[in-house]
Amino acid sequence: MSQPIDNLEEAVARLHVASKSSSAYESGPRKVVGKSAERLDAVEKATGETKYGQDLFDKKFLFAKVLRAAHPHAEILRIDTREAKKLPGVVAVITHSDVTGTNMHGLIRRDQEVLCSRKVRYLGDALAVVVAKTEEIAIEALGRIKVDYKPLPNILTMEDALKPDAPKIHTEGNVLGEKHLRRGDAPAAMREADVVVEDIIQTQTVDHAFLDLEAGRARYDGKMLTIEVAGQWLHEERRLIALAIGLPLEQLRLIQPATGGAFGGREDISIQIYLSLAALKLKGKTICLRYSRSESMVARHKRHPMRVHYKLGAKKDGTLVAAQVTFYVDKGAYASTGIAAMRKASSHATGPYKVPNVWADVIGVFTNNNPCGAMRGFGAVQTAIAYEGLMDRLAVKLGMDKAELRMKNLIHSGDAVTTGQIVPNATGVECFEAVLKKIDWKNRSYETAAPHLKRGYGVSVICFGLGYGDGFPDASRARCKLTADGMVEVYSSGIDVGQGLINMIAQIVAEEVGVPLERVRPILADTQLTPESGSTSATRQTYFTGSAVQLAASELKKQLQDIAAAHLEELVYEIKIDNGEAYNVFRPERRLTLRELAREGKRRGFSLEAMGVYKPPTVPEDTATGQSMRAFVTYLFGSHACQVLVDTETGEVKVERYIACHDVGKAINPDQVIGQIQGGVTQGIGMVLMEEVVMKDGKIMNPGFTDYILPTIRDVPEIECIVLENPDPGGPFGARGVGEPPLIACGPAVMSAIQDAIGKPIRILPATPERVWRTISEK
Amino acid sequence: MKKARKKTVAANGGSLWPLRFTLNGKKVSAKVQPTQTLLDFLRIEMGLTGTKGACLEGECGSCYVLVDGRPMNSCLMLAPQAQDRTVTTIEGFAHNKKLDVIQQKFVECGAVQCGYCTPGLIVAAKALLTENPHPTREEFLVGMEGNICRCTGYNKILRACELAADEMGLKKK
Amino acid sequence: MFYQPNVIEEALGLKAELKDGGTFIAGGTDVVVLMNHGKAAPENFIDLTHIPELRAIHRHDGALELAGNVTYAQAGKLPVRCLALASLSVGGPGIRELGTLAGNLASASPAGDGSTALLALDAEVELTSVRGARRLPLDKFFLAYRKTALAVDEMITKITVPTTYRSDWSKNGKRGAMNISIVAAAVAITPKKETRIALASVAATPIRCYKAEKFLTENGLNAGTIRQAAEIVRTEIRPITDHRASADYKVHLSGVMVRRLLENLVKA
Repeated sequence: MSQPIDNLEEAVARLHVASKSSSAYESGPRKVVGKSAERLDAVEKATGETKYGQDLFDKKFLFAKVLRAAHPHAEILRIDTREAKKLPGVVAVITHSDVTGTNMHGLIRRDQEVLCSRKVRYLGDALAVVVAKTEEIAIEALGRIKVDYKPLPNILTMEDALKPDAPKIHTEGNVLGEKHLRRGDAPAAMREADVVVEDIIQTQTVDHAFLDLEAGRARYDGKMLTIEVAGQWLHEERRLIALAIGLPLEQLRLIQPATGGAFGGREDISIQIYLSLAALKLKGKTICLRYSRSESMVARHKRHPMRVHYKLGAKKDGTLVAAQVTFYVDKGAYASTGIAAMRKASSHATGPYKVPNVWADVIGVFTNNNPCGAMRGFGAVQTAIAYEGLMDRLAVKLGMDKAELRMKNLIHSGDAVTTGQIVPNATGVECFEAVLKKIDWKNRSYETAAPHLKRGYGVSVICFGLGYGDGFPDASRARCKLTADGMVEVYSSGIDVGQGLINMIAQIVAEEVGVPLERVRPILADTQLTPESGSTSATRQTYFTGSAVQLAASELKKQLQDIAAAHLEELVYEIKIDNGEAYNVFRPERRLTLRELAREGKRRGFSLEAMGVYKPPTVPEDTATGQSMRAFVTYLFGSHACQVLVDTETGEVKVERYIACHDVGKAINPDQVIGQIQGGVTQGIGMVLMEEVVMKDGKIMNPGFTDYILPTIRDVPEIECIVLENPDPGGPFGARGVGEPPLIACGPAVMSAIQDAIGKPIRILPATPERVWRTISEK
Repeated sequence: MKKARKKTVAANGGSLWPLRFTLNGKKVSAKVQPTQTLLDFLRIEMGLTGTKGACLEGECGSCYVLVDGRPMNSCLMLAPQAQDRTVTTIEGFAHNKKLDVIQQKFVECGAVQCGYCTPGLIVAAKALLTENPHPTREEFLVGMEGNICRCTGYNKILRACELAADEMGLKKK
Repeated sequence: MFYQPNVIEEALGLKAELKDGGTFIAGGTDVVVLMNHGKAAPENFIDLTHIPELRAIHRHDGALELAGNVTYAQAGKLPVRCLALASLSVGGPGIRELGTLAGNLASASPAGDGSTALLALDAEVELTSVRGARRLPLDKFFLAYRKTALAVDEMITKITVPTTYRSDWSKNGKRGAMNISIVAAAVAITPKKETRIALASVAATPIRCYKAEKFLTENGLNAGTIRQAAEIVRTEIRPITDHRASADYKVHLSGVMVRRLLENLVKA
């Protein structure tokens, strides 16, 4: 299918993709890409040298703390900071009246005040920033700020928020927005279906729980305000900070320190603006700020809890004919990235299955709970739990093997997904076959050691649209440069949050230019040095930044080949660069090292620097029907199978065996791909079996790791990974990506296994022992 | 009756605790706020930021250090409690740029992702393998169950520990 | 002020002298957590970690005498099954090196694992102050939610545990390790064939289930009586619904866990 090309930049980018690699004359095995090279930063991490945000502190710096709301929903009548300012050691107390910018932020809709002036909408809302000589003094000063509130009724459930007479959390009302998808005539097809299953599935609020708490420092020297805080999209964060605090963009520099996990949790702005405000006010001072674990949990956005009403119709033989889905999404207090997560839900409403008639509606509802936004899996996690859950119910109703039912309905290459987009390279069937074979599906055994122990087997198949899609500008840029000391530097604003971006980039460059990995020096995430690379989210960095890096590296290599040809007086198309040396393939005895190439390049006036831009277009989904010929640049497929043991008396679930298969296009670094799969599955196990932010009256009842519990080494079996490599024409060396799919596919697989074991579906997540027991006990 | 040795300093402000202990093989003397946790003391006063804080309630293991060879949550110890003890932090593991076997295996096995839990895990593994050079799988789990890793899914961590045990066992032969 | 005595007498002297009674600190697994969260700021600490005699374990005829500061790591190696298993079920290795049995008793958490195991074992505590020492059976030790029989000047100096009981332990949580129990249960059978049942997280303190114990002692242990005793256990406890689990699930679990533990003990 041909795609419209909006501008020249895209046209060029696509042209490059067609011949991304400069090595047209070279063949043979890859030397760096596809190898499990050690993480470039692993040694310094294993020795404790790596500096994360909190490691940048020094006693001589000033410390900031943030005052949070005392009510989930209240009008602010007065903020009195006089007593706080009097406390010895307090250097500044900043409130909304000190903010000269818009004082607003928000990733898609700027609807959140940085420092609230009129109203608070959840307990994490900020009202003031105190800066003091020590953190202790700052904390004490917070207690001296008097805020008079007029409490408003707390709206804690979507039901309450949607009542006609409900108080409005935002002036425009309590509905953030809606998404609609109309494909075929689902109600009519449903009426004609032989079998219909229907259910309501409720997912919970989940916290990212990265270990490295929000922490960092900032300093304003009068010309430049430098902020060192871990984010996920520095250039966008810079733009939002500039607007909020009223400083020109050029005067802001964001530098990413080492980052201890993110999972979407650093996508919304956290401490960056507070630090900026403090630094701006206190010119020449370095200000530090860190959250405690409880503040981090109270302030940060969460994974959206969703209530999914799902109706699925099929013919007697199991062929799906219709799906009708309504998602009610608890947005919490602010928009965050919610509308995009909601769209991810509608566009993935039937996953990898061929359903000719689909109607889906998504409604996002404001409450006074924590705002919800990005978290690994972003709207697709809840959706997959719903559609796979319904597939299981359908299989039971049809008396059909659930694997057979899935196999029958999976899309094949050339079929369309929910959005109507044709998927040219659909590999769900291949993934599914691989896991079924590995778990020996036909011969699965239900034998257990005791009657109260029941075994169950679960499967899932998912597809996942990579990147932002929906016509949203989605681009990555990278720069490659040969330095005088013969190093290939690669500059990107992609962020290594632990997933291995640093190796992904370096290995692609090494392969593309033809240098050993140790000759590549990645320089990452500093708005002053590195070009815009889009967000580190949406499983997009390998595909987008990897491509941009490859384009830049390829261009640099061409320059090096030109130089070598000129210097060696050879034909340029006979110049090979291999292992860091350039030579004529037919006369390999005369060689130029990288250092020599750099020197020659300089002498001849070459820039020895190249930019790569990758910006494949997508097409916006129709607002009424959600249909788009290219909703996403590409789709990822994966399938999981697992075996659980349920203690039917206590409700405890043990995951005994786990198999995960993902088609990643090309594993740039297979070990890191496996790490991503195993980590994603573990987060999935956590979500499905134990993790839940418990809210009561707008307050988090478990704001720490004692009660917000995460999987330990004992909760995870060996996760057997199968990595498929069906190359994607748009990705670097055919790579697609792997970040989110392992988590998305895990939830439904474990839920499916529990249902298999106990004979009933669990409708509310997580499937804690109590909930499993209760489900078993229900008549 | 044994002769009592009494040490008295102000807990908040005022005089400081005269701490003497062995840190990463070196004798250290320092005046410390007695209410400061060992974690904060190591990070802020000693500049040893390899030891991490993440939950500050003993639930994640990021802050593990070895105290007389045993793993302990430095976020729950007050600095004076290290008096006369031998404390080893992650910075004390590699010698002359040569990594400890456990560190080496973590690097080789891809057991390091974001790296924030890594120091604590390496400390836990060291304590385990020092006490028990040939742990069974269950003993590995007992030794590693106090460390939360949010990135890796633990598989590679366990593998790294098992390989380290193999190599340490081979070396001893 | 921070005090670091090396002998018990001095610690007790300080405890008596200090106007606020001072705060004993050993593992810090309770008090330092509160300090880290800004919920406690004691004025005076008496550090017990530098008193070697508080770490001692002595064997007597049919009993172990554990000094107050014996850690979970130490207790995890003792030949008393329910105490060892309970101790190993606490936190991770770091917490087990820090946390002490006496600390567990003194904090009187309803979820105390060590406390619950010791209750089932008819442990006795020695409470010592400058006024002298007294011995108290553990079932007289817990008075109410977070309240114990410890006087302000007293320290738990010894815990005496019989080695002649057959015992077992079970703990239920939402994950495979580092749980604060939803319910934990310890059972023991005395040399005289009397049964002991103790539960955590089902009342304001760790508790004994006397009615069920009496029923079993009178009627003997068999599959039928065990089932009945498990039913009695369910009526004896008063758990609350909290963010960890609901009351009725805790009641249900208690019955299941006690039944299974006793069945295993009979089989063994």
